[in-house]
Amino acid sequence: MLLPKFDFHEPATIAEACQMMAEFGSEARLIAGGTDLMVNMKHKVISPNHVVSLSRIDDLKKLDLSDSTVKIGACFTVAEITESEEIGKKLSALRTGARALGSPLVRNRATIGGNLGTARPAADLPPSLMVYDAKVVLTKSSGEREVSLDSFFKGPGVTEIQPDEILTEIRVDVPPPHAGAGYINLGIRQAQDCNLVNVASYIALDGPDGTIQSARVVMGCVGPTHLRASSAEKLLIGEKPSDELFEKAGEAAMGDCTPIDDFRGSAQYKKAMVGVLTKRTLGIALKEAKDRG
Amino acid sequence: MKQIIELNVNGESYTVAVNPWQTLNEVLREEINLTGVKLGCGSGDCGACTVMVDGRAVSSCLSLAVEMVGKEIMTVEGMAPSGEELHPIQESFVKKGAIQCGFCTPGMELTALNLLNNNPSPTYNEIREALAGNLCRCTGYKKIIEAVGAAGQKMKEASERKTS
Repeated sequence: MLLPKFDFHEPATIAEACQMMAEFGSEARLIAGGTDLMVNMKHKVISPNHVVSLSRIDDLKKLDLSDSTVKIGACFTVAEITESEEIGKKLSALRTGARALGSPLVRNRATIGGNLGTARPAADLPPSLMVYDAKVVLTKSSGEREVSLDSFFKGPGVTEIQPDEILTEIRVDVPPPHAGAGYINLGIRQAQDCNLVNVASYIALDGPDGTIQSARVVMGCVGPTHLRASSAEKLLIGEKPSDELFEKAGEAAMGDCTPIDDFRGSAQYKKAMVGVLTKRTLGIALKEAKDRG
Repeated sequence: MKQIIELNVNGESYTVAVNPWQTLNEVLREEINLTGVKLGCGSGDCGACTVMVDGRAVSSCLSLAVEMVGKEIMTVEGMAPSGEELHPIQESFVKKGAIQCGFCTPGMELTALNLLNNNPSPTYNEIREALAGNLCRCTGYKKIIEAVGAAGQKMKEASERKTS
């Protein structure tokens, strides 16, 4: 499989890259890790006239940790997320999601920005970032804007990013004490496979043995984009955590998803697994919320 | 239009004229004649094309050659630079019978090197996880996992001898 022909550009700064994207518009594609783009180009799904590489822009590879916020450059690799103890401590579900992505060879190249920008409904990082209410920074020549991941994904492969914009940073507020999150992905194989269902859950308690103050449940592979299980979230808030409550939340989440039948599994099976994974990820979240207290 | 670029492969510098759409795999095999680098699926699923870039094992079929300027690239040929003495990982693969048809071997060995450089005493499961992106069509996984474990032991002993 050969790549289609293209003109190659290697900007040294974000500003230069923005200028190029403004000039080329939809004729250009950005390349970060290339693990998704190159496969699609080889299969001739896309053949952009211009490929703009982000690999020389060091500003996009930074990890900036403070007590209140984690800022991750769009070209921070998935392997680097798995290796960061600080991310593991502050955003454990993100590290779990990163560990589940592809294989070590893919993780060494794939980037966090790429995994969001390609907007695959089965991707591992979107749910494990959405549970933390993460935001992305979209930059263009005339300025930047911050977009919540909740409104970033528009459909399979479609996002809020405009042709002249670049996803430059991911921003996440560090969860408060007594908060925790969990992520589980289910697939036929444990590596190198497209997920069948993936779910991430987050809960914050108002004290060590308190009630649930806020909750987020995000489901993947069961809709055109990753979905929030809003009725499950509503059911959790204000209640004391328990196995029975998590079971009910799982049942509610099953009603919030819209899976389809495909060769990976039936809609009915995927829906049932949403229930199971919601319950289990809430269990992981609760354990972490108590440990972190 | 072709670009003239300089690549650092196995400690040697190579000046090559490449098209931007040529992958690192094509350039290593066809321009530099390092055919120890294999091409399997071409889409990052099989790991036969594995090379090390700045100390990390990656799929050369999904890497653009033009993006590799200034990076240290290592292929299986660089594991035993003298051409006579094998690397402990290679020795271990031979001794344990971890090579059958041999097509996955260069990728397996480089991925194993990446693992053992970071974790000299991996558990059985850690080895399995590290090799998750390298497929063996002969399905000789058990011997490969054993070979990587034994190589780790050997490399650890050698480095301990050096320091003591």
